[in-house]
Amino acid sequence: MSTVLTQTPAETHTAPARQSWQAIFALARFESRKLLLRIPVLFMLAAYVAWIVWRTKSGWYGYPALQDVDRATQTGPLLVGFAVLLCVNQAVLRSQRHDTERLFGVLVLEPWRRTAAHALSILPVTGLVVLGVAAQFGWQAVKSTAVGNGSVGELLVGPLCVLLCGAIGLLMARLVPKPFAIPVAAVLLLVFSVLAPVSIGGGDATAWLTPIVGEGSSKTIPSDLIGRPAVSHALYLTGLALALALLAVLIGKGRTKTSTAVLAGSLAGAIALGVVGGVGQAAGVSSETVAARTVATLNPQKVQSCVRHGRSTYCAFPEWVPRTATWAEVTDHVQSLAGGTAQTRKLLVQQRVEARYGMEADGAIEPSTTPNQVTVRTMWGGPRTPEFSAAVASVLVLGNEKAGGDVCDGRMVTIMWLALGWTSDPVTELRAVRLSDTVTGSSMVLSPTNGMTMTAGQTSVVRELLAAGPSTVTPKVKAHWAELTAPKVTTAKVAQLLGVKAPGGADKCE
Amino acid sequence: MTRESGETEQAGVQPPSTARVLAQLTRPVLRALPVRGLAATAAVALLIAALPRLLSDEPDQWSALIALRAAALTFALGLAFVLDDPARDLTSSVPTRRILRTTLRVALVAPFAAAWWTAAVLLIPSKIRPPVGDMTLEAAAAAVLSLAAAAAALRFTAEPEPGQRVAAGFLVIALVSPLALPNDWGMYVSPVEKPWGVGHDHWAMVLVGAVAVWAACGPEPVRRRRLIPT
Repeated sequence: MSTVLTQTPAETHTAPARQSWQAIFALARFESRKLLLRIPVLFMLAAYVAWIVWRTKSGWYGYPALQDVDRATQTGPLLVGFAVLLCVNQAVLRSQRHDTERLFGVLVLEPWRRTAAHALSILPVTGLVVLGVAAQFGWQAVKSTAVGNGSVGELLVGPLCVLLCGAIGLLMARLVPKPFAIPVAAVLLLVFSVLAPVSIGGGDATAWLTPIVGEGSSKTIPSDLIGRPAVSHALYLTGLALALALLAVLIGKGRTKTSTAVLAGSLAGAIALGVVGGVGQAAGVSSETVAARTVATLNPQKVQSCVRHGRSTYCAFPEWVPRTATWAEVTDHVQSLAGGTAQTRKLLVQQRVEARYGMEADGAIEPSTTPNQVTVRTMWGGPRTPEFSAAVASVLVLGNEKAGGDVCDGRMVTIMWLALGWTSDPVTELRAVRLSDTVTGSSMVLSPTNGMTMTAGQTSVVRELLAAGPSTVTPKVKAHWAELTAPKVTTAKVAQLLGVKAPGGADKCE
Repeated sequence: MTRESGETEQAGVQPPSTARVLAQLTRPVLRALPVRGLAATAAVALLIAALPRLLSDEPDQWSALIALRAAALTFALGLAFVLDDPARDLTSSVPTRRILRTTLRVALVAPFAAAWWTAAVLLIPSKIRPPVGDMTLEAAAAAVLSLAAAAAALRFTAEPEPGQRVAAGFLVIALVSPLALPNDWGMYVSPVEKPWGVGHDHWAMVLVGAVAVWAACGPEPVRRRRLIPT
């Protein structure tokens, strides 16, 4: 926006023209101040700040991946955008509402210059939104737990949406100068942009014509595999917003031939920019990205770097290497609770992700059959941490990950004790790791791959162990390790060995 | 202004009955209504209600709910302009009380609104139509809330045509409230979700509250409060 509209004066060097540009800037300053002080804009800016705080506090459990954080900044600016859409429109129509259009007619500032000033008045509020996006992204990016890379193209979408909203308000004011037009048009636009992607279907070129393009999956994948045409989309939005604003300026009367030519040229440039972006974003996912996704999914070791922490090796996608130390802490904690050879066993922790469908769909990961290999996924924190420790525990007890899906006997108690016994609030973690979000009855236990099952009896034994605490339970676990990890050991036997009340009934998995 | 007609009547002339006043007012009020704006708004609202049909061969319940709610919102935005009176400076001093005139305006719009809502509901395919009674309650609450906001703007400002600002404020609130209100209030849930019933109790409360505000803001202010001194 600023590039075209502020560079134009350099081309006109005559004194009167410069004065009229000064008048445009003076009016733009006045209008932007007025716009920033409108109640809807102030209200929506406050709502936007509240949204940022809420999103930042509730998101990613303290372990953000920046390639997700950048996309999460996009919807909030729409709040401000809607207020700008309404208020810019009303500001343009103010002279009509107060019947001062005739007075302005005798002034030096022609209608098209006034429209240009209104267009420039959108920039300060857009600047505030840029600050908001920067704060939201920066808040996550400065965390030492953050991994990955953000994309400038994705970060620009929010501010560009505000510009686009302002340009639509401007154009609507010139096309349909009626006060009732803009709120109605705003609802129509909003509903259309919500319903159209769902109804027409996403993923292809038409989906990218809407300002904000969501994704069907909430998982994290390495940033070079995402394959979203973010930069092209930012170009497309810039071109669209500029074209609409310049069209609104061109509709205004009183232009000289030179200014018409300059404006028409700029409009053509804006349209060209939009078309370049539109074509670029319609190209779809490149074949290199598709190939890289397949490699990352099926042969991750080819692209991963491996790091040793203590006994075990941790293989992760390059962006996640800083996080391997956090995984190592969990592995060490779990191993410290185990007995026998499991305490000193060398594990291979491998990061795996289903990236073949990009961000469009999720896919399950098959558990590994290699002995002593544990899968870790791309997300971390919250329930993901006990899920990983459950997988580590199952590998320590059962030998490999695949066996976790079939285990139904008393070893499940040992697995869950190892997984949760070291945590500071094990009952909360138990609730988090179970699919049903309960701490009683039978339930599925989530893990990075296929998950395991806990019966009601095993759940009650695990709960009693967690209540007893590691100081009483750990010595018993280490003393009876061989019996506790023997196949077909019953839950009642495990409970008896660990000195807690045995549940009634035999182990029966559903 | 609430000037009692009896005080200023000349002796021997009976003041006209309310019914007669209303009958005489009907034509001029009808002429003063922003008919084109209302018609345009209603047309766009019908277009929104038709979007699920237009965009997809097999629309789902979710899009039907969104479209119907958005249509109700759009029509309510149009209603914010119903009380606009460019001649307010003149009409505020006529003997007929304002509440009578504004009620007449709304009464004249009501049949049109009812017909419009019927059309909007019928535009949603019957298979995916949300419960009509509950949706009507939502639409009525939105419509009366918009009218009440317009009445409040008239009551507390000297602006002859507050519709534009009221509509902008109403739209802003309507956009933020689904994000800001707690989910268990159930005002923006879908019919399959549990809080739907509770949500419609809340919608009924909104309707009653809006009617109360509308009634309270009926009279013309005796003294003008000027927020911005002129």
